[in-house]
Amino acid sequence: MTPLYLVDDDQDVLDSLSWMLEGMGLNCKGFNAADAFLKSVDIKQPAVLLLDIKMPGMDGVALLNHLNQAQSAISVIMLTGHGTIAMAVDCIQQGALNFLEKPVDGEKLFQLLTQAQQHTEQKWHQQNLQLDIANRLATLSQRETQVMEGILAGKMNKVIAAELDIAQRTIELHRQKVMQKMQVSNAAELAWLLANHKL
Amino acid sequence: MYQFFTRLMFILAFFIGFNLPAIAAAPPASDPVRIGIMAFNEPDEVMANWHPTADWLSQQLHRPVHLTPLTPSQLDEALTKQSIDFLIGNALTTVAFKKNYGTSHLLTLVHNRVRSPEQSIGSAIVTRIDNNLSQWDQLKDEKLVSSDPQAFGGFQIFAATMATKGINAYRDIPKLRFIGFPQQKLLQMLLSGEADIAVLPSCVLENAVDKGLVPANKLKVVLKQPHPDFACEVSTQLYPGYALTKLGHTDHKLATQVVASLLQITPDNPAAQQGRYQYWSAPVDDSPVFELLKQLEQWPFVTNWQRLLHNALPWGASFIFALLLGYIHHLRVKRLVVKRTQALSAEITHHQYTQKILLEQQQQFYRAQRVLLTGEMASGIAHELKQPLAGIRYLTQGCIYRLDNTQTELATALNKVINQVDRAQTTIHRLRTFCQQTSDYQHCDLRTVIEETLTLMQPEFQRLKLSPKVSLQTLPVFADASLMQQVLVNLLRNALDAMENVPHKSLVIDTGTMGENIYIHITDAGCGLSDSALERLFFPFETSKPQGLGLGMVICKRIIEEHKGKIDAQHANPGLTIKVTLPLNSQPA
Repeated sequence: MTPLYLVDDDQDVLDSLSWMLEGMGLNCKGFNAADAFLKSVDIKQPAVLLLDIKMPGMDGVALLNHLNQAQSAISVIMLTGHGTIAMAVDCIQQGALNFLEKPVDGEKLFQLLTQAQQHTEQKWHQQNLQLDIANRLATLSQRETQVMEGILAGKMNKVIAAELDIAQRTIELHRQKVMQKMQVSNAAELAWLLANHKL
Repeated sequence: MYQFFTRLMFILAFFIGFNLPAIAAAPPASDPVRIGIMAFNEPDEVMANWHPTADWLSQQLHRPVHLTPLTPSQLDEALTKQSIDFLIGNALTTVAFKKNYGTSHLLTLVHNRVRSPEQSIGSAIVTRIDNNLSQWDQLKDEKLVSSDPQAFGGFQIFAATMATKGINAYRDIPKLRFIGFPQQKLLQMLLSGEADIAVLPSCVLENAVDKGLVPANKLKVVLKQPHPDFACEVSTQLYPGYALTKLGHTDHKLATQVVASLLQITPDNPAAQQGRYQYWSAPVDDSPVFELLKQLEQWPFVTNWQRLLHNALPWGASFIFALLLGYIHHLRVKRLVVKRTQALSAEITHHQYTQKILLEQQQQFYRAQRVLLTGEMASGIAHELKQPLAGIRYLTQGCIYRLDNTQTELATALNKVINQVDRAQTTIHRLRTFCQQTSDYQHCDLRTVIEETLTLMQPEFQRLKLSPKVSLQTLPVFADASLMQQVLVNLLRNALDAMENVPHKSLVIDTGTMGENIYIHITDAGCGLSDSALERLFFPFETSKPQGLGLGMVICKRIIEEHKGKIDAQHANPGLTIKVTLPLNSQPA
């Protein structure tokens, strides 16, 4: 279950929204300020955040901006008392998933939250995979990287061997090592992995 | 000093010369003796009558004698110009000149038919024999004729007598006409019935009858006065006749010679016969003539205007000159008054205009502020209501989710609660939309707006005895000037309020451009804000003022953000700095 966070400076709104969400079977945790949220939540983890805009100190837009900068996986749904179109556009551009006016209907919110959960999971998985691939790439030696680039360029072993001026047999060994380290079974799979998940 | 005296003397001489006749030298013995003779309209007849007398004189004096017949007005002129040495005129003229020109009465003429020179002439009121006139009053209604208003016996004695009866001969006798000379004509008019009454000198009627010019027993003298020593019938008192007068300048020796010569004339002398007189006598008592003159001079019509005018001329001229000077001064003063008044009224108009502009600006400002406040209040209220309404809605929906399928009644009621909340939300939304005002963006210079705002707030600066340190430069922006003014007034008023109870007041307004932005920094030396208050500075209904609404800074923030600008507050030591930045717009207005 993806955690659900609420940030709003108005404690009453926080309480009532929690009450509704819990009624829908969703567990949530409320914060009445942006910095309190940042202190206790790991923003690298997948989560859904219902964020108020107008707050003292760091306001909603600033927090959104911060999350965006930090490449957080958290899906943010903006909830505001009185929003303008300009505000909405601004928020969406900064990566907010949605921009809603208070009070939002439970059913509608539920749908959006479900979407947001999927979105954050996806985003998190993506981020994780990318990280994983990066890690796998990091384990390759310099020679292995050279061989992998040759393979990706679609060159035959003997061509690579000629280019790198090493024995064809050595190339075959390196190739085997690359496939093993990158956890793929053939060149096509390697190409697909890197093309789809490379940053 | 010497020059001053010369000038003074010159001026004095000028004025004296104006008033006094020049002193003329006596004519040399070979020069002609000039004698003026009073005449009305018959100069030739007068010349003929007096010619022998002149000849006699010329003969006696061994020097030429010039006779000049003169009408009364010519007489005045001749006396003024001193163009004659002697004058022969009637008693009234003689007396009048004595009074007005200082002439000397030398001799009195004894006319024909006269026994006493004092009683030589009177007026005779002649009418037809059948006229029963018996009262002076009755004359008023008659057709009266006379020869000339200046004629002595022919009118003036009559007029003076009328005056003693309380009648103004000119005004009270509407049918009075002056016919002119010869006097016989008047008698003919009586006979022909053209006139009812003729005023004539005494003896004219008798002479005419004697000469056969008028038939006897056709005409008579009425209102007769008895004069036993007088040969003719008269209606008035009798007065002396013609007299010889010496002018002031005439040499007394010559006068003595002339008098001696004339006294030698006897009634049988051709001079006397042709001149229709008996002889010349020593001057007689002329006090009755003075009396007559006084009676006549009671009325302005016989006042010697010419003489008076002549005497009055220098004074009149000075007076008119003074009057003219006064008038010029008056005109000058008037012009100055008009000029100053114009200047003053222009100034007043300008002042009023400025006042009006200022008042309009103030009104406009307050109107805009009212609109903004209303909008912001609606917005603030909407926000404040929205939060609890949102809470209610969330709680209600939370409750609904907790119901099981059997609790349908509760579900219905709770859904109704949600509907009610939504209705309230809609109302609030509508209210907000209604109160939002559209802005009027224009290219403008914030410098002007700041200057206007400072003028607008001048009274408040004066109240705090504060003069803001302002460094202004041109600040082109694309903005709604009236909204910008709202922001400035709000910021300045906050600054002033913060300094209300602070001993060392200062206000600094710093402006400039920085990259693509313009900035305005307003720093006060007021009481400042706590950290938490600073954090919530731009939140609605947050105020430190007991009367405040807590919308001022919200409005400022909203307006500045609407203009794509930023507003920020920082601690100053002491007090607060408000920093406003707005996008620069260098496009010409």
